[in-house]
Amino acid sequence: MTEPPADLACAEFSSLYAENSRAIYYLALRYLSDPQKAEDATHDVFLKAFRKLDQFRGEASLRTWLYRIAINHCQNLRQSWHERHVFSNADDAVWENAVARTDSPLRVLETKELGQRIQKTLDALPEEYRLLLLLVANEELSYEQVSTLVRQSPDAVRGKLHRARKAFAALFEKTGGRDYETPNQAHAGTTVPTGGG
Amino acid sequence: MKHQTKLTQEQQSQQVGAEQKTQAQSAREFASAEELLRYDAAHTTVPPAIAQRLKKSAADLPAPRTNWWQRLFGGGKS
Repeated sequence: MTEPPADLACAEFSSLYAENSRAIYYLALRYLSDPQKAEDATHDVFLKAFRKLDQFRGEASLRTWLYRIAINHCQNLRQSWHERHVFSNADDAVWENAVARTDSPLRVLETKELGQRIQKTLDALPEEYRLLLLLVANEELSYEQVSTLVRQSPDAVRGKLHRARKAFAALFEKTGGRDYETPNQAHAGTTVPTGGG
Repeated sequence: MKHQTKLTQEQQSQQVGAEQKTQAQSAREFASAEELLRYDAAHTTVPPAIAQRLKKSAADLPAPRTNWWQRLFGGGKS
């Protein structure tokens, strides 16, 4: 058996990180609802993947495998918080760092406020719905892959997804109060139709 | 005086028009929750600190022992 040279393995791992870090970080960010914990979780997930690469059997796609590690990691974290009764309290300064830094100031403000509104909506959803929406939002994951990740049948996923969409849209409208609207959005705000299926 | 008032009205009209245009530009409509989340994800930056920490952490570990990279990236050796 040929062992990969360390530098080649690291180069391929860099490529793996470049292709998947945004998806994994975003999942951790919105699932854990805390940018600092999401940063730690993303680091830990990729380090775990690096350690376990020799156990990857190629039966699933690499992205699905990474997501599996990320979901397990995040669920364990949330479980331990609940056991210790510790809840996220990320302050505004931390949220500021979580939005795109390369955008114009106005864009950053809009993105930040929209991000907060989305986070508040996701936080109010049942955990199962939140995870489902975050997974389905990734266009590179098929329904079958999502159903494998959440360990449910594709039909069950479709049914729950329908309810999750409706719940999200209703809660999103609810969070559209003055605290989450820019002056412009107060007249022409961001909307999500309740339909879909 | 009357002429000045007319100009002011025109200016006001232009200003209102500009404001309406800005409002229209800032209005966004998403077809589904997933589309909104995709937009949000696309505007989320991965903190560069993660890659730096990961590089340090991985440097302390031995390189992966099996030919996982060949299975993943199409190498032919076994």
